[in-house]
Amino acid sequence: MNKNNSRKRSAPPPQPPPPKTKQALSLEEEFVDEDVFIDETLFSEDEESAILRDIEQRQALAARLAKWTRPPLSQEYLSQSRSILFQQLEIDYVIGESDRGLLPNRSGPAAIIRIFGVTKEGHSVCCKVHGFEPYFYISCPPGMRPDDISRFHQVLEARMREANRNSNVRNLVIDVQMVQRRSIMYYQQLESQPFLKIIVALPTMVASCRGILDRGIQLDGLGMKSFMTYESNVLFALRFMIDCNIVGGNWIEIPVGKYKKTTKSLSYCQLEFDCLYSDLISHAPEGEYSKMAPFRILSFDIECAGRKGHFPEPTHDPVIQIANLVTLQGEGQPLIRNVMTLNSCSPIVGVDVMSFDTEEEVLLAWRDFIREVDPDIIIGYNICKFDLPYLIERAATLKIADFPILGRIRNSRVRVKDTTFSSRQYGIRESKEVTVEGRVQFDLLQVMQRDYKLSSYSLNSVSAHFLSEQKEDVHHSIISDLQNGSAETRRRLAVYCLKDAYLPQRLLDKLMFVYNYVEMARVTGVPISFLLSRGQSIKVLSQLLRKAKQKNLVIPNAKQAGSEQGTFEGATVLEARAGFYEKPIATLDFASLYPSIMMAYNLCYCTLVTPENARNLNIPPESVNKTPSGETFVKSNLQKGILPEILEELLAARKRAKADLKEAKDPLEKAVLDGRQLALKISANSVYGFTGATIGQLPCLEISSSVTSYGRQMIEHTKKLVEDKFTTLNGYEHNAEVIYGDTDSVMVQFGASAVDEAMNLGREAAEYISGTFIKPIKLEFEKIYFPYLLISKKRYAGLFWTKPDNFDKMDTKGIETVRRDNCLLVKNLVNDCLHKILIDRDVPGAVQYVKNAISDLLMNRMDLSLLVITKGLTKTGDDYEVKTAHVELAERMRKRDAATAPNVGDRVPYVIIKAAKGAKAYEKSEDPIYVLENNIPIDPHYYLENQISKPILRIFEPILKNASKELLHGDHTRSISISTPSNSGIMRFAKKQYTCIGCKAVLSGGNRTLCSHCKGREAELYCKSVAQVSDLEILFGRLWTQCQECQGSLHQDVLCTSRDCPIFYRRKKAQKDMAEARLQLDRWSF
Amino acid sequence: MTSNGYECLYLLLPMHASSSSLSTSINKTERVSNSSRQAAMGRIERLQSSYQSLDESFEIGKEMYRGQQYSQIYFARLHLMRTLLYSLVPLWKPNSPVCTVLGLEEGKECVIVGTLFKHMKLKPCILDEYSKERSVVPLVKPHNFVNQDDYLDLEDESGRVKLGGNIIVPSVYVTGIVVAIYGKETGAGDFLVHEVLEAGLPPQIEFPIKSREDRYVVLVSGISVGSSRSNPLQFQLLVDHITGHLGDEKEQSIASQIVRVVIAGNSVEMPRGLLNGQNLASKDLSRMAEPVKELDILLNQIAAALPLDIMPGPCDPANFALPQQALHRCLFPGSSVYNTFRSCTNPHCFELDGIRFLGTSGQNVDDLDKYSEAKDKLDFMERTLRWRHLAPTAPNTLGCYPYTDRDPFFIESCPHVYFVGNQDKYDTRVIKGSEGQSVRLVCVPKFSETGVAVMLNLRDLECHALSFGTQFSP
Repeated sequence: MNKNNSRKRSAPPPQPPPPKTKQALSLEEEFVDEDVFIDETLFSEDEESAILRDIEQRQALAARLAKWTRPPLSQEYLSQSRSILFQQLEIDYVIGESDRGLLPNRSGPAAIIRIFGVTKEGHSVCCKVHGFEPYFYISCPPGMRPDDISRFHQVLEARMREANRNSNVRNLVIDVQMVQRRSIMYYQQLESQPFLKIIVALPTMVASCRGILDRGIQLDGLGMKSFMTYESNVLFALRFMIDCNIVGGNWIEIPVGKYKKTTKSLSYCQLEFDCLYSDLISHAPEGEYSKMAPFRILSFDIECAGRKGHFPEPTHDPVIQIANLVTLQGEGQPLIRNVMTLNSCSPIVGVDVMSFDTEEEVLLAWRDFIREVDPDIIIGYNICKFDLPYLIERAATLKIADFPILGRIRNSRVRVKDTTFSSRQYGIRESKEVTVEGRVQFDLLQVMQRDYKLSSYSLNSVSAHFLSEQKEDVHHSIISDLQNGSAETRRRLAVYCLKDAYLPQRLLDKLMFVYNYVEMARVTGVPISFLLSRGQSIKVLSQLLRKAKQKNLVIPNAKQAGSEQGTFEGATVLEARAGFYEKPIATLDFASLYPSIMMAYNLCYCTLVTPENARNLNIPPESVNKTPSGETFVKSNLQKGILPEILEELLAARKRAKADLKEAKDPLEKAVLDGRQLALKISANSVYGFTGATIGQLPCLEISSSVTSYGRQMIEHTKKLVEDKFTTLNGYEHNAEVIYGDTDSVMVQFGASAVDEAMNLGREAAEYISGTFIKPIKLEFEKIYFPYLLISKKRYAGLFWTKPDNFDKMDTKGIETVRRDNCLLVKNLVNDCLHKILIDRDVPGAVQYVKNAISDLLMNRMDLSLLVITKGLTKTGDDYEVKTAHVELAERMRKRDAATAPNVGDRVPYVIIKAAKGAKAYEKSEDPIYVLENNIPIDPHYYLENQISKPILRIFEPILKNASKELLHGDHTRSISISTPSNSGIMRFAKKQYTCIGCKAVLSGGNRTLCSHCKGREAELYCKSVAQVSDLEILFGRLWTQCQECQGSLHQDVLCTSRDCPIFYRRKKAQKDMAEARLQLDRWSF
Repeated sequence: MTSNGYECLYLLLPMHASSSSLSTSINKTERVSNSSRQAAMGRIERLQSSYQSLDESFEIGKEMYRGQQYSQIYFARLHLMRTLLYSLVPLWKPNSPVCTVLGLEEGKECVIVGTLFKHMKLKPCILDEYSKERSVVPLVKPHNFVNQDDYLDLEDESGRVKLGGNIIVPSVYVTGIVVAIYGKETGAGDFLVHEVLEAGLPPQIEFPIKSREDRYVVLVSGISVGSSRSNPLQFQLLVDHITGHLGDEKEQSIASQIVRVVIAGNSVEMPRGLLNGQNLASKDLSRMAEPVKELDILLNQIAAALPLDIMPGPCDPANFALPQQALHRCLFPGSSVYNTFRSCTNPHCFELDGIRFLGTSGQNVDDLDKYSEAKDKLDFMERTLRWRHLAPTAPNTLGCYPYTDRDPFFIESCPHVYFVGNQDKYDTRVIKGSEGQSVRLVCVPKFSETGVAVMLNLRDLECHALSFGTQFSP
């Protein structure tokens, strides 16, 4: 949904997002095939037998692991008397000797496609597909006849040989064929032209061959000639999928007799066989084939014992625990729960605890576990950047050579590649790419960052957000202490580790990622792993290639095609008439506006008429559309566009999926269908973005600028129609007024004061205006906002009504302060005010509420946790150019206590404190706990001016005259109370004296409680003191029992230091206040 | 101060005389007031009883908040209860092994002892305050949070196990009870419960038989002075009755047999609305203390006539967490000068003529009522005795001081009388234990709402309601 919004509302290039630097783009968008040679990473036979011996030594463990193996093969499978049907999850290829049995005419190295998957009985499958060869196209030079081809072939082969001297492949260019195709670019009157299809031996050679042709080759009779290549940037695996009609995550069948069991199996899969690519049957994901196989999902988490003051590093710090959880897809409960620990660990109910004496044993046990359980998908939180690379590097440090065999290929080591990820937002980050062959990695952190906009991506806050529960957080400085304790403390750690392994699985279930991602792969036709590791454009490209293949079109490999054209005007936003509307506001929405425009006006690469062609081709004017941005596209009677066709199919499929969803009874089937309709919607919306991405695969700004120009026109058109038609002149009760419009929606005040009346008018308007548009563009009436607070463009709030009797929810846009650098106070204040204004309709109440809050802030009565601001520490202080509050604080904390100071990668919470006059902003940050413990005064004015004032004024300005004066400078801001720090210099010389509880007069003599003047009021003063204690006791009890609940144990002390938890500081403060209030109360005991 | 009280009384009566047919009582009061002090000394002598306070264990003396958490009180509770339950197990399941949660083996039948933890879907949670979308419709506060999806875990210091099977019913139990369970671990990691053993009624000291004459204790709660619902006259009638200022000689002689009054909490209702976190004006401060002053005047009259125990309740100017500490003497400048006036803790435990009383101001039972189910309040009371724990939900849902080395709510010795204050209606029953224990359970109703106090006869522990009304239906 998010993606969808951003795409619709911002001008291209929305994908990839602008803040990323070119380096990141090139990483993301450049598709490179990398050939993997089978023997390169394999062990020699000697090594293998050594490993086998090693396994024998640990037979006890093996027996323990054995009960988790996959179900055994039935007789039918063993005797190869049935066809093999499986759901594929991962497709890759290796270079191996081509199979003589299957391909008698070929020899030498060839690309072998490997498809990994699971049958419906739960058997793992490794299907090796032979005979598919890499190829691409070039346009045939004019004048070249079929007899010239063999000459061309020879020249190309020679040039290729020069470039690949070391290759032992006999024929680098296997074949050159003349075929009839047409380029997708621009409207052409000719049906087709001759193209050359160049087939090369290995996938990587496509790139080198392309390079040669780009630079140009010397041809007899034609001279030096360079060629534009077509479809030369398609990844080999994707090429295979497209040509075999395979989409990501679908079911594949190999009939009896068409497959050959591998004699010497190379993988750990139960079914491993060879076949020809032409024998594959790919089933479209419909009916029976829309189901999911029972694949195994492993969720894991590791714990490392870091040194004090350092983030764990694999070269120093041992891996002490690995918790694993295996779930069968579709099952509610995990199949396996276990934890591997270094040193003894007390048992945990329902969990298999495996303890080992050395770290090496732990790591090897985990490797064996992976092999036995044979998971299809590996999930976890931040596994790709932390857990997996850490394990592998740790094994390398310990010199455990045979650890990294985690993939499905026998004896093939896991490869770790360093990749650099760079963006303006996160800075340059080194990260790792770990290839685990045959298993899909699904890092929930990456998914969250991709799919959701959250204020924090820590596992704790993500699970608080989606699962509504807080996660206990053990600081890494405590982990070592727990590890060095007893079997009991290690058990404590193991429970924590298990929970961290369980949460990703629960998130996966809750958010239905498996269904949604598999459906997305099916809809767009790319392998599941692409969805996470690659950008948006590959999904559109995959669909485009598939469609083009059907139409005999080829797609040029012209990245630079549109890049010089610069930018163009984005979507229109009608001027917002800010105000507080107490009459219903009807919202008219264009349903899938951009896709509809592309369909309605037949906008496509192949319908675009270049200005040159427009002059030359003599197309009748009634057969073209001139877009508002000045481009020309032919109408569908001359040439039907591919993009509109793709969109039509996507939207039709979505309609179908939605209809089926209504019918569906089975919850699993529902999940699949819902995932599909969502995937279809997102895909439909990403097509527009693809054409506008200037550094994309096939940008075409003519299309995208036309789309937005039509969009603008439509919004204006709608506004005009509404305001012309719904007038008192035309017999309506009021004059309608368009108060705001954005990209694809228009907000109208019809003037009616009843919700149902406004709804009827809204429906009438939608129907009337839809009639004036070309199909399938449609204006829909969806909802009423009542009341509606419009602040400025893209910022509004209102109650959302879809039925006349009751509102559905409160809807806000742009004012929800999810920004990380805001404190909780702002968010609460804004939310509560909106609640009071919109739902309670109590503006004076909201004003009073703000005043109270400001007064609380100034009087130092504010809950500190509401004032905490957090920022991520991405690098150390020296690397920052500008001094910032959180970095400075981290430095100061390191000087105080290196063990608990935040490290790179941690989030640093801080509050702004009162400091000497003229202190820089960054010097005023302080650790909230330190503030609590030492009574350091916070700086209320900072919060008032830098945090609260803007968002509050934004809300109140449309409602209240003189909002700023009234709210921020009223009487309530007069009294200020500042606490006295207990650690500052001067206080050490101060003499403490008791003051009267009633009037603060200094007490003398033996009096400890009240002065003689207040003596008569002791009952009332006592009531006040005791009421304070009583309130604190309530809070203390609720806070600390909640923490017990989260940690899931009554008998153990709460250790959690999760600073993301909203009650962390409150809990700490309650403890301290409680002690103080009790002391105060004890002064009464006379 | 004392004279002030009588002035107040005079003012009060004429005001209400017209609204109710109280002409007789006015006469009596006038008569009594003439001879106010001498009345008791004159014709009828008030009986005396020996009294011993056992509140010591509920007093928080030098114990301080030093950053301790709640795990220790659970640990102390488990330790106490486990010793006890282990001694019962050989009789209950002679041949079964006793395990800890850690020591469970799949399929092996055994006994485990641990603290129950109830997972409750509806349980309110402080984190809800922070939930991302505040619900548009304010939550209706249900009075009971039990849901059919609730389930129990058994926990000891080594770990936790989910309890399965239909022997142990989650709606009956609450978090914090220590029980012994017989059953076996199933493959799924659950513990299938076959049988449950609760500690049962504690041993009881012998009931003194020497007394043959009637002696009464009056139990009253929820006077709520200062509340809009309370009728000042109603309590005045009770005071006058107890002090022998009402009725004929027969009634007065019964009144003279009242040896003690116990007020079980919520004697005042403070205008809490004033305490909204903002600073209080001194005018408001004195308004807040107004009900306390009024109460002092009333108690003054009782204390002048007979011994009085006052316990703090949830609405009183006392601390919130159990055990609530005695109301401060400075709140009662008038009545606290009498040695008959005792400000006690809640829970409150004492012996009167060798008869042991244990009571609370109602929080323990009210909390059980929120987090579990029973057919009446007496059932909850009975359960707490059988669990041998006065307030099992403390600290989980009931505020409680974080003890480090003991659990004062553990019931070591079975009382003869067990009362809870501030209930909706008067109710009583006698329960018997397996070792001949016999306990009188009393629900003391809120006086301000029902006009009912409870008279309990020390001779045979029979009880009856003492009902006062100022509105007589025509």
